[in-house]
Amino acid sequence: MRGKLLAAAVAAATALTTPAMAQDRGGVLNFARYDGSKLIDPIYADRNPDIWMVGSLFDTLLRSSPDGNSVVAGLAESHEMSDDGLSVTLTLQEGLQFSDGAPLTGDDVIFSLNRARNPDLSPWAGLLGSIDNVSASDLTVTISLKAPDPTILSMLATFNTAIVSKSVFEAADGANDQEKSASIFAAGGAGVGSGPFYLSGFEQGSSMSFSANPNYWKVGADGKALPYVDGVEFQIIPDDATRILKLQAGEVDAAEFIPFSRVAELEADPSINMNLYPSTRIIYSPINTREARADGTPNPLADVRVRQAINYATNKDALIGLVLQGAGKPMTSPLMAAATQLSSDLGPLYGYDMEKAKALIADAGVAPGTKITFTTLAGSADDSTIFAALQQMWAPLGIALEVEQVDGATRGAKNRSGEFDIHTYGWVNDVNDPSQVVGWLGHTPTAKAVGTGWENPEFNSLFEASATEINAETRADQYAQMQKLYADSAPLLFMYETPFAVAVSNAVEGYVQTPLGNNIFEEATVSR
Amino acid sequence: MAIIQYTLKRLLLMIPTFFLVMIIIFLLVRFLPGDPAIAIAGDRASDADLAAIRERLGLNQPLLVQFWLFVTNTLQGDLGRSILMRAPVTDIIFDRLPTTIFLTVYAVSLSLLIAGPLAFVAALNRNKWPDAVIRTVFQVGLSMPVFYIGLILLTFLAAQLRWFPVGGYGDTFIERLHHLFLPAVTVALYTSAIIMRNLRSAIIEVLDAEYVQFARAKGLPDRLVLGRHVLRNALISTVTLLGLSIGNLMSGTLVTETVFAVPGVGRLMLEAIFARDYPLIQGLTLTFAVLVSVVFLLTDLFQSTLDPRMRLT
Repeated sequence: MRGKLLAAAVAAATALTTPAMAQDRGGVLNFARYDGSKLIDPIYADRNPDIWMVGSLFDTLLRSSPDGNSVVAGLAESHEMSDDGLSVTLTLQEGLQFSDGAPLTGDDVIFSLNRARNPDLSPWAGLLGSIDNVSASDLTVTISLKAPDPTILSMLATFNTAIVSKSVFEAADGANDQEKSASIFAAGGAGVGSGPFYLSGFEQGSSMSFSANPNYWKVGADGKALPYVDGVEFQIIPDDATRILKLQAGEVDAAEFIPFSRVAELEADPSINMNLYPSTRIIYSPINTREARADGTPNPLADVRVRQAINYATNKDALIGLVLQGAGKPMTSPLMAAATQLSSDLGPLYGYDMEKAKALIADAGVAPGTKITFTTLAGSADDSTIFAALQQMWAPLGIALEVEQVDGATRGAKNRSGEFDIHTYGWVNDVNDPSQVVGWLGHTPTAKAVGTGWENPEFNSLFEASATEINAETRADQYAQMQKLYADSAPLLFMYETPFAVAVSNAVEGYVQTPLGNNIFEEATVSR
Repeated sequence: MAIIQYTLKRLLLMIPTFFLVMIIIFLLVRFLPGDPAIAIAGDRASDADLAAIRERLGLNQPLLVQFWLFVTNTLQGDLGRSILMRAPVTDIIFDRLPTTIFLTVYAVSLSLLIAGPLAFVAALNRNKWPDAVIRTVFQVGLSMPVFYIGLILLTFLAAQLRWFPVGGYGDTFIERLHHLFLPAVTVALYTSAIIMRNLRSAIIEVLDAEYVQFARAKGLPDRLVLGRHVLRNALISTVTLLGLSIGNLMSGTLVTETVFAVPGVGRLMLEAIFARDYPLIQGLTLTFAVLVSVVFLLTDLFQSTLDPRMRLT
């Protein structure tokens, strides 16, 4: 399965750099989604089904490189960071147009970036907190910063900084920005963005249509403007089995979020290509590290030795076999997926070692029969499997693992209030930079270290220092230290990384889902 | 005249019912653990973001104030804006409701078409082999979960034989009949099993009644006896049963609409609950309450026309 992951990685990378040889043009790609978009606007997109579609309708100044480790040209053909790290100068391509043919200018860039960094509007404004001012003259855009920000280039390649048309927003109905955005989205049509497609149809909860943007700047292998297809038709099919049946019946050309238990079956189907795209998705379980539980009783998991013991006692390969049918790999960095910039490869974290686990538990003086509650998502087959496996794996340590099943909103609330022992969780990077995930998982002031209550002053100050460190080497060293500290004190049960599983019919080529989850259709072809 | 008076009285009685429903649903969603602000902003939002969202949605106001706003706005036909969909709740519901009503009526019609003739065959051949076969088949249907039947039908009739589309809704009436056939049959298989059992015993009971024996004795042809006397009287309890099971049918759409990717209010309700979309949950529950009350009223009115002894009081 590792080989397959690698193959998918290579395929993804080549698809992004070298387009398909045969240029099939035209046709509509039918795509079955697990959940529908609600509002695709760069600054309001806050759910993955929205975020992952922003790049199809809008364009950013810069883009992530195929390997995810740097940025390349987008709407801006070049960029330059000043020596003091306090300003970024970008040069826009000449002749850029929105999807209705209207020119895309520096004014649109100023409008879009000011909108994106306005905390009254965007939930993502915090990512752009370092920006002091945005100005433009002709094709040159200057972003001045309050303090050096090593993430700024990555942020300019992130969905929330995508460029929208100022004049479309000014002309839209609505008393405020949010209402204008909703009415633009509801009306659909070309003009608001400059991405490879524009929204041409939308039925809440049922379907969505994208049509090719005839004015898109990027050129395909045949020298003509991308995209190759005339459009993409999305159908919202929440049920996994139905989505697969749709694909098998030929009613759609692609189906996303294939459950891993069905991957082998679809791989055996000669009319279907089962793609496993490398992702930044990690599955882990936060452990409550507070001295006492929310109800006041002592918390055995406050002892680092107990947290290490349960990590050693967890056979990750067995979990991957049970839950993912082998389609995953153990986490090798405690704070991020291996595909993230600056991730350290610490090998499989806490490789299975029952003797070590038992010794640590004895050392910590945990009484046999100690009860620990594992909170899972009700209705999730994966979570139920994980619980059943962990209950068995931890029994030799004398831990009596009990299950508590809740829905997603309840789990989120429990994470915030600290009313849990251990619970299942997952993460996919939104930004092509490790600061977001590391802040979330480890930095206490950001989110109480993913609700665990873990507080390590050294870690926190390293994280805060790294936020303004523009020397790449120093910053890499800070991240290496943070990963080491975090691995040692194990505020998480480190589990595994999973790929994005998308099954496509043989007629489709060139579709890619990036490690951040973005669905990329600009170089997709469909032959019928 | 009596019918109009009766209907008005029943409509008036709905007001306290709805008020009770409003109180219950208002409190129920708020006592659920889980925070709509987190559902909106995501697990990653900062505490300040969450506070801002609660402020914007009025979630930090006292419960009584929130309830007062809910009641007064509802009376003016304003069910608020959906947190998840960012659109007025009434628009969203009116957009999705016809699909669910279509599916429900379709399913009920199919179950009557399936159950009616078979119940007659079974009752007229009481305790003989046709009766045994029909009852056994329906017993199996009754004991299988709805989503399981749905998936089996999808796999064979849609994915393999390709007689029907796997999901979706269609645009014209004929397309809808075609698209929604499998979901409607799935629901109908279950309800027709209940109706068949009920109708069969009702027919048997009526067949033994003295007035039927009298009708036969005075030489009426079988066709007339069965049509005018037996069916009409046996239908009374079946109509009651159908009316009472409307709640079940509606809640069944939660599962069916998800499995068959039908964009109706059942699936919407699931989405709303998972997102803690208070206004949408409230609006949908009220809609369900109105629908169920109206169906109960229609059932009573229909019964009184079938059986004049059932006085409207």
